[in-house]
Amino acid sequence: MTSQWWSDDDRLLSALGSALRAAHAVPDRFVEAGKAAYAWHNIDAELAALTYDSRRESPQDALTRAEPAPLRAMTFAASGLTIELHVSNEALVGQLVPEQPGHVELHQPDGLIRTADADEIGCFAFRPLPAGSFRLRCHTDSGRDVLTGWISL
Amino acid sequence: MRDDPVVVALVAGARDGSKAAWDELVERYAPLVYSICRRFRLSEADTDDVGQTVWLRLVERLSSLREPAALPGWLATTTRRECLAVVRATRQRELREGPVDSEIGVDAAEIDRALLEDERDAVLRDAFAELSDRCRVLLSYLLEDPPVTYAEIARRLGMPVGGVGPNRDRCLKRLRRCPSLAALIGSAADTVEGGEGHDKSVVER
Repeated sequence: MTSQWWSDDDRLLSALGSALRAAHAVPDRFVEAGKAAYAWHNIDAELAALTYDSRRESPQDALTRAEPAPLRAMTFAASGLTIELHVSNEALVGQLVPEQPGHVELHQPDGLIRTADADEIGCFAFRPLPAGSFRLRCHTDSGRDVLTGWISL
Repeated sequence: MRDDPVVVALVAGARDGSKAAWDELVERYAPLVYSICRRFRLSEADTDDVGQTVWLRLVERLSSLREPAALPGWLATTTRRECLAVVRATRQRELREGPVDSEIGVDAAEIDRALLEDERDAVLRDAFAELSDRCRVLLSYLLEDPPVTYAEIARRLGMPVGGVGPNRDRCLKRLRRCPSLAALIGSAADTVEGGEGHDKSVVER
């Protein structure tokens, strides 16, 4: 058999050296962004699970399609409240189901928050589309506080 | 895999609200996440996005992570999946903008091999972090580039020249004994040796 990285002390020490050098290559901002993610720990909202994602239904299409950006549809569900999302080139449009008014926040990882009102039939829109990943937090007028998972378009 | 008590304690701490424990987890494993992004040749901006997504997913998983000791593997898998999503999205965009080479740009088999190296590196750094200060300093001196003589190391540490070699052996023995590294070597030796052979001895000391 060929000698392995753990076979003797010299090999082990050299493997350790390359592991430590790899760690030095990581930019500080990358580490700091990771630490900042802890702000999302124990957020006091119900989590809505992704129950439908049009992209997951057809990953192969997504890989080979040559047309303009396809519409993407997603559904997030918490008990008694569903959030339907549709993505077009210009906007993220959504609806709270059952239909009800409320207030929707769009959170981005850097802490930026955009807001939109949901009308009497629960419809809301964000224009332009958010760049990068985001999640939605929906406060209904009836007092529900529901948070989606992270979404990347 | 045997539990690495330090990692288990850090995960438990972060779950129970310790920002310091979370910060240490990030410091420990950011190099793993980062190096995987480099394997996929992601841009700096995409690398930052993937990093953020991975840490946010971990924040959400803290309370349900059943095997904290398997964290490096979970991080590697999650990062790999997010990287592939970025590669696909980039590819989709390029196709929309016009004909491109049919190559996807990354070789999956090569990346899988590289990911094993990245996970190994993470375990080695874990084991190193758990050594005593004295061992960490000694091994760092031994790893300096350009190399430092034993005489110089002995002078810096205030020990006889004859003590450097035995201390090196002792520190590397402790490194091998760290639970996660011992487990990794054990399973790697099983793969290579079909479950038996002289390599087993190194993990049982």
